[in-house]
Amino acid sequence: MARLDPYTPTPAARAGRIVMTVVPFAVALVLVFLSFLPVGRIFGSSVMPAFAFIAIYYWAVARPELLPPMAVFAIGLIFDLLSAGPIGLWAFVYLLAYGLTVTQRFFLINAPFSVFWTGFGVVAGISGLVAWAAASLFFGQALAIGPILRHMGMTVALFPLVAVLLTRIQARVLPGT
Amino acid sequence: MDPNRTSQPFREFSHRLSLIFMITLAAALLLLGRAETYVFDRARQTVTDIAAPLLEVASRPVAATRRLIQRTDEYAYVFDENERLRAENQRLQAWREKALKLEARLARYEALLNVQVDPSIKYVSGRVVSDNGGPFVDTVLVNVGGDQGAESGQAVIDGNGLVGRVVSTGPHASRVLLLTDLNSRVPVAIEPSHYKAVLAGDNTKWPKLEYLAVSGAVAPGDRVVTSGDGGLMPAGLPVGVVIQTNDGDLRVQMFSDRDRLDFVRVLQYQFPGKVKRQDPPEGLKDQPEPVASAAASGSSTPGSNNGQGE
Repeated sequence: MARLDPYTPTPAARAGRIVMTVVPFAVALVLVFLSFLPVGRIFGSSVMPAFAFIAIYYWAVARPELLPPMAVFAIGLIFDLLSAGPIGLWAFVYLLAYGLTVTQRFFLINAPFSVFWTGFGVVAGISGLVAWAAASLFFGQALAIGPILRHMGMTVALFPLVAVLLTRIQARVLPGT
Repeated sequence: MDPNRTSQPFREFSHRLSLIFMITLAAALLLLGRAETYVFDRARQTVTDIAAPLLEVASRPVAATRRLIQRTDEYAYVFDENERLRAENQRLQAWREKALKLEARLARYEALLNVQVDPSIKYVSGRVVSDNGGPFVDTVLVNVGGDQGAESGQAVIDGNGLVGRVVSTGPHASRVLLLTDLNSRVPVAIEPSHYKAVLAGDNTKWPKLEYLAVSGAVAPGDRVVTSGDGGLMPAGLPVGVVIQTNDGDLRVQMFSDRDRLDFVRVLQYQFPGKVKRQDPPEGLKDQPEPVASAAASGSSTPGSNNGQGE
């Protein structure tokens, strides 16, 4: 693939700073949206991977200051509003996952990709469990565990795809990172 | 990557503080949401309305890909399929004769008894534009909104059977609660015995049959249709087939395929209590009938068919 020349500071550098603060959030927003596309219907199963969750994990490791807690909250809330589920559920779970990842950041930041991926698996597992428990409490009954397992399993399986995309975005759009 | 940015202690502290604040806020929202406030519903609807047109455009290539794959599949099996269809057609011809005969007889009986026939149901077709709403909810968005006449409570069917019902509508899109959702409860009847039950979703693929009076009278393979109790949905919409799970529960395998939903119909059904009584066809009117008095007394209280069980 052809690579663009590295970004050089120009008078537009100030605009660049705005882009830097907006791009991670905007990308995550697009990913939320992608989750709701009925892609699964092509294969006859409605698995919807949480693409935005991958983005949250990615930025929490790579550059947490580019995706502040407020942005994570907004992403989770929009997911909740679109999904018609309990409002605040995914905002809560994503924030917890974000916090957890940030504490392990220095372990993950220079690790090889396999560790980065495994780390996501662990975070996704814990988040899935928390989400399931919170939703079960919310609805007042033990929910079926199958759908959340599939949801998180699918997300972990598709992690490399989104991670590569985000790495490219980070390298091209967000210079010096 | 550059760790020196975050090494500033103050930055890290404020970051942590805002994280804790946001987690608390999310938890508070979650608790507040238990109360199902009006504001939340409005927010949901607003976001849905904004997202629906985008989703509709974006889901077109998905639908096209799907059709392409289906088409390819069909080409591969076109001969077998032809053979099968021919055999089926033959079988169905016989059924058709039977159905026509029965239909004629039923129409005559209904006319004689002056049965209040359900009005023909208007519907609007639309396309499912979103995936199910995540692992804890089973809802989809349909591109039929209030502008097209969709209303909360209306039944939604696909080519094979009942899919769910509309739970909220915006101007251009509606949210459909699928039968499998945890919150879905639909009154149904199990066909040959006509026992009533409630079809209750629990986020698994097969919704449960609840409040079934005599479970012994229902066997796997029985047909499940809507009973029309409560007046929300028309009676007799096909729903599925009774199956028995390994732990002995009676569940329902639905005719509609929730994982492959594409075009659906939103039925604009109105409870017959609200519409005008239908008169018997012209040809039957001048018959000497002893039922005339019964018919007259029946027609004088149009609301009385509420209690009319079977």
